[in-house]
Amino acid sequence: MTTERLDHSNMVRRAAAELRAGEAVALGPGLPGLLPAQASASNAVWFLSDNGVMGYQAAAGALAGAHPAVDASGDSVRIAPGGSFCGVVDVAGMLRGGHVALAVIQAAQISAAGDFVHWTTAAIPGLAAPGSAVDLASGAGRVIALLAHNGPDGSPNIVAECDLPVDGVRCISLIITDLGVFAVRDGGLVLTELAPGWTADEVVTLTGAPLTVSPSLKEMSFDVPVLSPLNKVYPTALDALHDVPGGAVVNVDGFAGPGGMAHYLLTGLRDQGAKGLTMISNTAGIARIVNFGTPAGVVPIDHSILVENGQIARAIASYPVSPSVSRPSAFEEAYNSGEATLEVVPQGTLAERLRAGGAGVAAFYTPTAVGTLLGEGKEIREIGGREYVLEHGIRADFCLIRGHKADTLGNVVYKGTSRNFNPVMATAARVTVVEVDEIVEPAELDPEAIVTPGIFVDRIVKRPGDFSPYL
Amino acid sequence: MTGMARIFPSAEAALADLPDGAVVAIGGYAGAGVPESLVRALLACGPKGLTCICQGAWPHREGGVGIADLIEAGLVARLISPMPFPEGPGHEEGYKGPGCEDSIKKRWESGHLEIEVVPAGILAERLRAGGAGLGGVFLPTGVGTRFAEGREVRSIAGRDHVFYPALKAGFALLRARAADTLGNLVYQGTQRNWNPTMAMAASTTIVEVDEIYEPGGLDPELVITQAIFIDRIVNTDRIVNTA
Repeated sequence: MTTERLDHSNMVRRAAAELRAGEAVALGPGLPGLLPAQASASNAVWFLSDNGVMGYQAAAGALAGAHPAVDASGDSVRIAPGGSFCGVVDVAGMLRGGHVALAVIQAAQISAAGDFVHWTTAAIPGLAAPGSAVDLASGAGRVIALLAHNGPDGSPNIVAECDLPVDGVRCISLIITDLGVFAVRDGGLVLTELAPGWTADEVVTLTGAPLTVSPSLKEMSFDVPVLSPLNKVYPTALDALHDVPGGAVVNVDGFAGPGGMAHYLLTGLRDQGAKGLTMISNTAGIARIVNFGTPAGVVPIDHSILVENGQIARAIASYPVSPSVSRPSAFEEAYNSGEATLEVVPQGTLAERLRAGGAGVAAFYTPTAVGTLLGEGKEIREIGGREYVLEHGIRADFCLIRGHKADTLGNVVYKGTSRNFNPVMATAARVTVVEVDEIVEPAELDPEAIVTPGIFVDRIVKRPGDFSPYL
Repeated sequence: MTGMARIFPSAEAALADLPDGAVVAIGGYAGAGVPESLVRALLACGPKGLTCICQGAWPHREGGVGIADLIEAGLVARLISPMPFPEGPGHEEGYKGPGCEDSIKKRWESGHLEIEVVPAGILAERLRAGGAGLGGVFLPTGVGTRFAEGREVRSIAGRDHVFYPALKAGFALLRARAADTLGNLVYQGTQRNWNPTMAMAASTTIVEVDEIYEPGGLDPELVITQAIFIDRIVNTDRIVNTA
């Protein structure tokens, strides 16, 4: 065959054409590491590496500077404006929790059904070395695999069934090789694009699995689209919450008093008026009754404004009642009158359930509440001589969080104890909305200081300067 | 996790009581966040039969030490790792597999080194569960692969999940940029990788840092690992300029 196969940079450029603005894109070791160098505007997507760096660009040379960083291949990378750091455990949670739209991996072998063997696993017979490939492939929304169409001996790497133990089952959706592009569909593999100079017949012959040729088969293009970051900034709380549907589940932060509570967003949700809401929060609104940092002589806005507006059908909370019998909270009155129902969850279990929901942990065993009313009716399991209760992850449709500052990409920093439930709740919702005192440009937040990465934040609202958190 | 952290004069002094057969978690990934002074000291102390939980048996960099050195010296009986052998050149030279060190491979093949491969996210979550006092977790990761073999699979909300038990270590060897004398830690760049999670998951945690401050010397908003997790602090020995 005289026609040349694609080189790596063109394969990677074709993969870069799959990037969509605002998405988190996890890159495995090897060829995917070349993607940031090919992407045009790298803070329009969040490149994510399993070792705990997100929002980065290619960087030649050795580790240096204030934020020395490497990617999954161990190559030096430079944090992009708006990038930040976390741990392996956090990246895995982002993947399992559905926060990563796309993963790009390098495979050694792929089956017609989309099973794959990671390139690092194939080298030593009898020993796996998947790194985070299993997490990437089973957690991301879409998975693109890069691989050589054929091995050095000409044997096909796309096969009917993998002959090595697989690192993931039915998880590859698009394959880019040095000969073409292949969609993995329920009915099997479809050849959709050809490398320049190659014919469909030639590629079919070099493939080890049944292949359908797409009626719209075309030649591969290597143009990388220019992407712009999404605009996440909304003018008002009401705008940011305009689409909360009736019956939605909503995370509302705030430990007890005004600290960490998104007062402005609460008024927005009240004005928006969605009814039948389930509210997940530490208290169900007792800031009016306890002071917890409230200055004397004022009454803070809290969850009660939603209860009094007839919007709350259910609360999931750890401290749902007033500490004073003579001064019941609005939620207590709604509960006592039968307007609202309640699920009581111990505080640490509530936080862990939210963390599990955000990190794709379906369920976990906790020793908390064993032998109490709160553990009744739940599975008890003895592990290592200790009894544990099975609890499940929990997620909301919307989340109202309160930060101190956000950049326009949605990275958030907090102040003092206002952190409380905010960072964990932010991970556990379909739409996370943050209220902050100040919105800054991406380069203005210290990447080491970012607590909630913008991957988790969908909408940003600045609390107006003249807004009062008091009634 | 025994209360107040203690500052040790040397890495070897901080590891003096690490016994044969200990389970040791070692932070770091691809040359970043590796506690090289502590690894070097462990090599010098020479405990045998260790179980080592780490990203992989990374080789040493020029002038440094790596986990591969612990294995080659015969200190490690068991490795729990997502990428037991270091990667070889990937995109530079095509599709080569891991560039594993021959001597380590021989130890494994001859049965002197047991290897349990655990995908990175599963290992991290098991350590976090250990550190956070959970008994174990149900994850969707690994379903249908060898990593789930022999484990309970349960359908939760219509999707198969695998039960993974919590994992704890006896000792954790960690790397951070700076500590205060109480043991609060801040990191730099991708040093964070495994270190904060392992800090939670070990009975005795030992960290090496570039700088030690008095309490109040670290911005409280920037502390990543809280002092309650840290037992022993040493200054990194700066034999190499470790990242």
